[in-house]
Amino acid sequence: MERIVGIDLGTTNSLVAVLEEDGPRVLTEPESGARLLPSAVAFLPGGEVVVGNRARELAPDHPFEAILSVKRFMGVGLEHVSDEDRRRYRFVDGREGAVRFAVAGREVTPPEVSAHILRELKRWAEHALGGPVAKAVITVPAYFNDSQRQATKDAGRLAGLEVLRLVNEPTAAALAYGLDKGEEGTIAVYDLGGGTFDISVLKLRGGIFEVLATNGDTRLGGDDLDARLAEVVLAELPSELAGRPSVRARARAAAERAKQELSAQLRTEVVLDLPEVGRQARAPIGREDFERLVRDIVARTVGPCRSALKDAGGDVREIKEVVAVGGSTRAPLVRRQIEEIFGRPALVDIDPDEVVALGAGIQAGILAGGRRDMLLLDVVPLSLGIETMGGVFTRLIERNTTIPATVKETFTTAVDSQTSVDVHVLQGERELAADNRSLARFKIPIGPMPAGVPRLEVTFLVDANGILSVTASDLRTGLERSVEVKPSYGLTEEEMERMLEESIDHAEDDVRQRQVREARVEADVILAATRQALAAHGPLLVPGEGDAIGAAVAGLETARTGVDYVGIRDAIETLSRTTEPFARRVMDESLREALANRRLEDI
Amino acid sequence: MHGSETQERQCWRCGTGVGAGLVCPHCEAPQPLPPGSDLFAVLGLPRRLVLDGAELERSYHARSRALHPDRHQTAEARARELSERASAMLNRAYRTLRDPVARGRYWLELHGKPLHLDNKEVPAPLAADVFDTQEKLEELRSSPTPELRDEVRQTRDALAARLHALQEDLSSLYAGRNGDGLLGELKRRLSEIAYLQTLLGDIEATLGNQRGAHSRH
Repeated sequence: MERIVGIDLGTTNSLVAVLEEDGPRVLTEPESGARLLPSAVAFLPGGEVVVGNRARELAPDHPFEAILSVKRFMGVGLEHVSDEDRRRYRFVDGREGAVRFAVAGREVTPPEVSAHILRELKRWAEHALGGPVAKAVITVPAYFNDSQRQATKDAGRLAGLEVLRLVNEPTAAALAYGLDKGEEGTIAVYDLGGGTFDISVLKLRGGIFEVLATNGDTRLGGDDLDARLAEVVLAELPSELAGRPSVRARARAAAERAKQELSAQLRTEVVLDLPEVGRQARAPIGREDFERLVRDIVARTVGPCRSALKDAGGDVREIKEVVAVGGSTRAPLVRRQIEEIFGRPALVDIDPDEVVALGAGIQAGILAGGRRDMLLLDVVPLSLGIETMGGVFTRLIERNTTIPATVKETFTTAVDSQTSVDVHVLQGERELAADNRSLARFKIPIGPMPAGVPRLEVTFLVDANGILSVTASDLRTGLERSVEVKPSYGLTEEEMERMLEESIDHAEDDVRQRQVREARVEADVILAATRQALAAHGPLLVPGEGDAIGAAVAGLETARTGVDYVGIRDAIETLSRTTEPFARRVMDESLREALANRRLEDI
Repeated sequence: MHGSETQERQCWRCGTGVGAGLVCPHCEAPQPLPPGSDLFAVLGLPRRLVLDGAELERSYHARSRALHPDRHQTAEARARELSERASAMLNRAYRTLRDPVARGRYWLELHGKPLHLDNKEVPAPLAADVFDTQEKLEELRSSPTPELRDEVRQTRDALAARLHALQEDLSSLYAGRNGDGLLGELKRRLSEIAYLQTLLGDIEATLGNQRGAHSRH
């Protein structure tokens, strides 16, 4: 069985896990045995990049170069970045589309930053599993929109990982609990992470995990609690000092420590050491003070929970369990809030920091074919639609529709000789297009004709990752039409190609490119031969063989799109080994037929 | 006749006869949907307005297990593509058929009498109430008083109860009637339901706006 890993790419920490015979297991850093990788990436002058704890330690002295919660910036534009975050990092100004950080004299996009975290986890996994890892399942907040999901997928690709599936974090957590307890009935997952909040309501039945509704806030998390608490200690300092980015970074780290202490004890102190100015600021704080300070932030989780319950069409009394996920649910205030909403205490049997990664590992196992008893049916979190006449948002796919989901729309032209139809796709719940998040603009070319004559059928498909694709066909000719995509807050295909190329060593390019080309030609030959043999001699397959051959064909199809010629050759080898018994049977039969024919002639 | 047609369907991957199945019984490859399949066929159910909820869910789950992209992730591109398309249709079929209102509308579509929701004509049994409610909402928008709000809330609750009753009635309509009279009756009831839903939406929006305006003061 192929090794597919499950990755929890978190705002604060990231983990990698895998499904084994006896259940999911978190893989650790080979050197230290650490299970959590801080999601921190620091860009040093000279091009060196450091990841994890070291990057986090660099943050106070290099606040602009060390990026601590890149997830907040995935798939968004500068206009969506808060004032506090604009002070916290340096962004490249005047660029449309995705944000870009200005770090150590260069520009990097959030997917590139995330790719560094993923590469490090890939290294951990390869060391732990003793072999290459090329495929992964990555978790995302359930409430992530299309752009944020696409950005996560791009990050995986840049890290050399084929992202087989994006799984929603609360759903992954439910998988981990379901496997643990063999639960049946309706459950809720309350996931308050470092930067995002999700609530999902699921129905568990006979191994099927059916998400009924999901809701959330991608701008709400433990980070907000830290920021609030940091202000308390910053207030002890003169404003000139309190405004310095390096001081603010230290204050946030001190606040995070104090917050964690207050989950276990009733009093603590936020201690801010500033050796460079020979100062220290201290702010004693009790748990009750802290709770008063952040109560309104935690209360912002109530609305999404109520909406999700309403959309799920059930009553809160039908919820059998509430699962708590995310480090922030360790805080007693959050626990009380959960109990108040659902009328029962939260289930915390599995470490809230690890449960999402464990679920991702299980989903990886499901995709690899290792758990045929379990299946996830997830939903699209936000309605998808297009801009129509007068700037109105017309919904095509309602929120909480099970994915994959598809809908077809017919378009025509408004003026004579119009040569393309432009479709503006948005996501959100508001009535006006301008109030929703723009995802992309699609341009579909058509031949010049009088207005209203062309009939263009456009198919919108949201795949099992919650990512939209658009295809078009001309209803008059039945021909497929190309669709040119301009993502609003993402990377274009060309940008991706360039970034991928940049990550390849140019020195050996020529030789390698030739080898890649040759391997691809060979791959095409064997793929065509296999397809032909299957079509002509399918009945000769033995049970299970068709699946195995299909998997080997898929492996080669994937490998041939890559630039690793050794990988392509390996996949060719695998396919020919898998088809060998079948090929022998085909040969035998042809021989028999030939003999039979000769005998007929003889007579 | 119909049988021989479906028997000719063969698995694109291994050539085994697949009948009307959505996956090959031999190699488990997902198959293209038979042309002209309606949403009932996608779920393997008879084309009937009366459906047993438990049977519907069982069939949906069983077919999801066979067709879902998670099951074909390691297969070749064609299998992945077909599984995605078939799953999407299956999801749509389940979403449409499990809800009696959506099922009724789909039934009208199937019989060439789709319900147009931009229909401006107020269904006769609702006319008086609609007029009354619109007037109250207008008044509430121009000169809101707590008494008026309460009155509108009462109207909302009464209309919601009526909507609920109409929806409940659908199942007895589905069970009891068939034949020629059904389509007309179905259309009348569904347009009443649609109208009530829109009206309730208007009431909620107006009450919501009022609340927002109030809290800003």
